[in-house]
Amino acid sequence: MSSDTTGFTEEFVPTRYTLLSRLRDWEDNDSWKEFFDTYWRLIYSVARKSGLTEVESQEVVQETVISVAKHIHKFRHDRKLGSFKGWLRNLTRWRIADQLRKRTKLPPDPELPDLDESELPEFPSEQLDGNSDTRWEKEWQTNLLQAAIDRVKQRVSEEQYQIFDLQVLRQWPVSRITSTLGISAAQVYLAKFRVTASIKKEARVLQKEWEEI
Amino acid sequence: MNPETTSPPPSIPEHELIRQIGGGSCGTVWLARNALGAFRAVKIVQAESSRFRSSLQSELNGVLKFEPVSRLHDGLVDILQVGGGQDAGYFYYVMELADDIATGQLINPEHYVPRTLAHDLKKRGKLTIGECVRNGAAIASALGFLHRQKLLHRDIKPSNIIFVNGFPKLADIGLVSKISGPGGQIGTVGFIPPEGVGTPQADIYSLGKVLYEISTGRDRNDYPALPEVLTDTAEDRDLVNFNKIVLNSCRADYGRRYQTAEELLSALVSFQFSRYDPRKERARRLLIILVSAGGLLLFAIIITLFVRRFLWLLRHEP
Repeated sequence: MSSDTTGFTEEFVPTRYTLLSRLRDWEDNDSWKEFFDTYWRLIYSVARKSGLTEVESQEVVQETVISVAKHIHKFRHDRKLGSFKGWLRNLTRWRIADQLRKRTKLPPDPELPDLDESELPEFPSEQLDGNSDTRWEKEWQTNLLQAAIDRVKQRVSEEQYQIFDLQVLRQWPVSRITSTLGISAAQVYLAKFRVTASIKKEARVLQKEWEEI
Repeated sequence: MNPETTSPPPSIPEHELIRQIGGGSCGTVWLARNALGAFRAVKIVQAESSRFRSSLQSELNGVLKFEPVSRLHDGLVDILQVGGGQDAGYFYYVMELADDIATGQLINPEHYVPRTLAHDLKKRGKLTIGECVRNGAAIASALGFLHRQKLLHRDIKPSNIIFVNGFPKLADIGLVSKISGPGGQIGTVGFIPPEGVGTPQADIYSLGKVLYEISTGRDRNDYPALPEVLTDTAEDRDLVNFNKIVLNSCRADYGRRYQTAEELLSALVSFQFSRYDPRKERARRLLIILVSAGGLLLFAIIITLFVRRFLWLLRHEP
């Protein structure tokens, strides 16, 4: 078990906070992957709903993550930048604007700073309009559940997840699942119990972590 | 076109560049005609800023490793010529041309659109299980060959599988590298395994995701969910069985995946030989009907004999 400089073991520090701390290290591939796995859907979904294509949205994901990588150190030390949730929203918006500018070949908008520059602009979340806030909040919550499901997918067997998907998400009757997959009813109930419990637990953990950022 | 490479393309020896047919962050792909009039695809990678120098060298290294083996397996796109270099600020490679989506190998330069697995998937939603097995086996065979050369593809996805004379081939070799061990998140999101690229098992994972998309019609990020519509037809029963191969290719724990492309190929071939055969199914159903009818007839005869015997006994009872 590793300990940080405060003497606390990682066990007693909120995981997401620890993750953001670890992201300062460019070489920490596992932490960056965890960050990417948790947030890419959120960024991608917002980009798609802004009218970008799949390819453009993928670029937004990449460029936003690069922006986070470049400026996470400053964010960690400057609380004026607000919450991580608001900061990530701003980065995503700017990268979406970049893609729209590319499409229309408009000159760079001075109101939308290019985070490739060395200075990170201070862009309080209060400056954003209410609709955007609501949309982001909705996406954030959706992403929370999806991130929990994604994490659980990595831990349970693929077969158990398929059963959970058919019974819980698609509401198939047990008899149809057993005949389609060639398994017993007991296997269906066991998979449902295990996967549902894991997702609930993971969602609670994520919610707690995100509130503490 | 990539904004970093907006300058005119360099001239390619013995080739006339006709028009750009593709492009991405690492270069542009052109439809070209060689001195003999044959159509080719030419990829040009230009590094107009220092930002792209390292990726240019990285891709060039991969192409130079891939080129000697590319023509030794039918499932790999043929690299016919390589030129330029880092000192020139660009390099290019000439490849065989993919079929046109409408006319196959009859190329009309004005309307040419390359046929890829992604195109087929987009057009048809999903492929039949028979097509999934054939495409999967062809690419698994090519992948096994590449791995035996100690090389990895690292970017297997439907848009990087082209058809030449109707035969699927692994293309877009920009990320080809030597086997290095797990780690790194290079490639395309959703096709990269949890442990990262760098091993043959990572390529197998990516191919498994391709098989998932083409067999279910769902996005790779939905994995392992089964198709939205699943009926009690023979094709869907095949799909459920085929899905077991997909799961064994894409296990999150890479130790539980097929360890070699040959294992995956073997599973696909075995599946093909054991899969649902409509003639066998008809024969099986006919047999069930005949046996059932025979049983009923026998039962009726026994009951009739029993009743007759019973009535006879009643009549002759003293």
